[in-house]
Amino acid sequence: MGFISEIDLLRVDLTNRKIKKETITGDKVRKYLGGRGLASKILYDEIDPKVDPLSPDNKLIFATGLLTGTAASTGGRYMVVTKGPLTGTIASSNSGGFFGAELKFSGNDLIIFEGKADKPVYLSIDGDQIKIKDANNIWGKNVNQSTDLLKEEFGNSNAKVSCIGPAGENKVLFASIMNDKNRAAGRTGVGAVMGSKNLKAVIVKADQKTIDYNKDKLMEVVKKHTKRIKENGVTGEGLPALGTKVLDNIINSNGLYPTRNFQEATFKYTSEVSGEALVEKGYLTNNTGCYGCPIRCGREVELPNGRKGEGPEYETGWAFGADCGVDDLHAVTEANFLCNELGLDTITAGTTIACAMELYEKGYIDKDELDNGPELKFGSSESIIYYTKKMAYREGIGDELAMGSYRFAESKGHPEFSMTVKKQELPAYDPRGVQGHGLQYVTSNRGGCHVRGYMISPEILGVPEKLEPQELKGKPEWVKTFQDLTAIIDSIGMCLFTSFELGLEDYNDLVNSGVGFDFSPEQLLKVGERIYNLERKFNLEAGITPKEDSLPARFTEKPIPNGPQKGNLSKYKEILKEYYELRGWGQDGYITKQKLNDLGL
Amino acid sequence: MVVKVKFHSLFKLNLKSAGINYYIDQPISIEELIKKLDNDFEGYFSEKLLDTGQIKPGSIILINGKNVLHIDKLDTLIEDGDNVTLFPPSAGG
Repeated sequence: MGFISEIDLLRVDLTNRKIKKETITGDKVRKYLGGRGLASKILYDEIDPKVDPLSPDNKLIFATGLLTGTAASTGGRYMVVTKGPLTGTIASSNSGGFFGAELKFSGNDLIIFEGKADKPVYLSIDGDQIKIKDANNIWGKNVNQSTDLLKEEFGNSNAKVSCIGPAGENKVLFASIMNDKNRAAGRTGVGAVMGSKNLKAVIVKADQKTIDYNKDKLMEVVKKHTKRIKENGVTGEGLPALGTKVLDNIINSNGLYPTRNFQEATFKYTSEVSGEALVEKGYLTNNTGCYGCPIRCGREVELPNGRKGEGPEYETGWAFGADCGVDDLHAVTEANFLCNELGLDTITAGTTIACAMELYEKGYIDKDELDNGPELKFGSSESIIYYTKKMAYREGIGDELAMGSYRFAESKGHPEFSMTVKKQELPAYDPRGVQGHGLQYVTSNRGGCHVRGYMISPEILGVPEKLEPQELKGKPEWVKTFQDLTAIIDSIGMCLFTSFELGLEDYNDLVNSGVGFDFSPEQLLKVGERIYNLERKFNLEAGITPKEDSLPARFTEKPIPNGPQKGNLSKYKEILKEYYELRGWGQDGYITKQKLNDLGL
Repeated sequence: MVVKVKFHSLFKLNLKSAGINYYIDQPISIEELIKKLDNDFEGYFSEKLLDTGQIKPGSIILINGKNVLHIDKLDTLIEDGDNVTLFPPSAGG
């Protein structure tokens, strides 16, 4: 294995069952770092953006970040990059846990899966022994069962597993890839692509836990960062104690907590399903952390019925809770466990049920279509569990729900009830209550998403400084900077939560000290800008036009009906052109030749 | 006149209280409210919410869902029937 700035990759041809080792050096690493950036470059170079996402012509890339497996705080993450079946855009989905670091230790920075196996298989990496193995006895099993069976067959319980559940096998368009049982590359349907290739899992065990980088220099920087992260009220106290669900009451109190499929923006029963309730009801047994993490925001939970698992996170709790009008934390947590076991993205699963509830209550779904299942009414805790299972196994109406809310609502003649951007469901912040975040939703390169530029941080939480959420001035520049910085964090393999304490200069110090690069902060930010533009270029060539940089009409035509943000609408259209201009794109939203040249694209 | 103060997050868990009501004769400022809270909770709130006399970065003080940083900060007046909601620095996502 070479120095960290040389990328060693495995090319796995599933059709012909061939495995090849390759190395990427030099300029490409400096231009795209690793993780999301480098994998996006490879995907762009190697597939036609117009390819059918579920065909053998699509590729599926597992990519560790540039600093994954090093001493960098939270440096254990990996990214799954492919063309997404839910949106048709480039899809990249990030996950923590321990799998990413183990993959890096095994000497493989990246795996490219090509083609399609003729029957279910998995990839086994046991030190230098890399094999494609038969997965017939594992196919059909859920994530927990699959993980246990694979480790047993492998003969080492310390091996790390990333796999799909039944939802991925059944090509549910929002299936996740799960690693270490409970961590998810959740969004954009990467699990469906894995299922379409008959690839059940990757299991990896490295011979040694060392990689070649400037450890001493990096440690000097990391020590200072870790101290700051631990002393920060958010990363040192709030997140360990309450997890991401610390947000329920904050977002609800600010009046932008989407309720009943975004019909309202405050939920009367928030305190029943909040992060505080998870502690007070005694469900939370422990907090837990991913590889190299000083924050430890994960939730280990045991329900009164004895069921154990991890979660719910803020987004999950909201999607099955307030968005479905459900005030039963037990049911919400059960739905979360099911998603983890079956391999479903919790945000799209919950919000697709919420959309179906609105359609049902408005009379656009007949009772007969439910096959004697529970009525799809807001507040039905029975429904969120019942239809989650139906979606994963594509049974009855679950087969239609498995296409996500946009295609489902469209098939009922009412796509306007799908709360999506580019066919991916919006997360837990009403864009009418937070103008910069709304602009971020419409310009996200993977469709409706909060982790491409988390504007909630300045607009609501006051980190790194507090912006007025309804103000438009200056927001396009904030969104651009956040998007470009996020692309860097995703490419070096760190957790976005570090950015509640660290800034651009800190990430620049990490990259330079660990790898020996000599970036200025501005140069590093330009790498993020390059990655963002490359993703946009892929999407435009895939046929996703700038017309799709838009929110559902509900957000620009129907004001928030009650609560602190009563009367507000999203005004993203007033600042979209300014955003395009700041990005150096044309007024029509297409990237200009000059910008492409400027970024070396 | 009644002012309702709600505690969430670590405030709620640490103090084992969901909030407190104050009866006031005339509008009071957020700064005055924090002094009242300090009297009842042994100086807890100025330590958690303030830093050298200003609102600590990331602390969230809402009046009827509006952040006081965008009104008059610590001078923001609280009137009869107002709901005040308090959070320590928090984030997630």
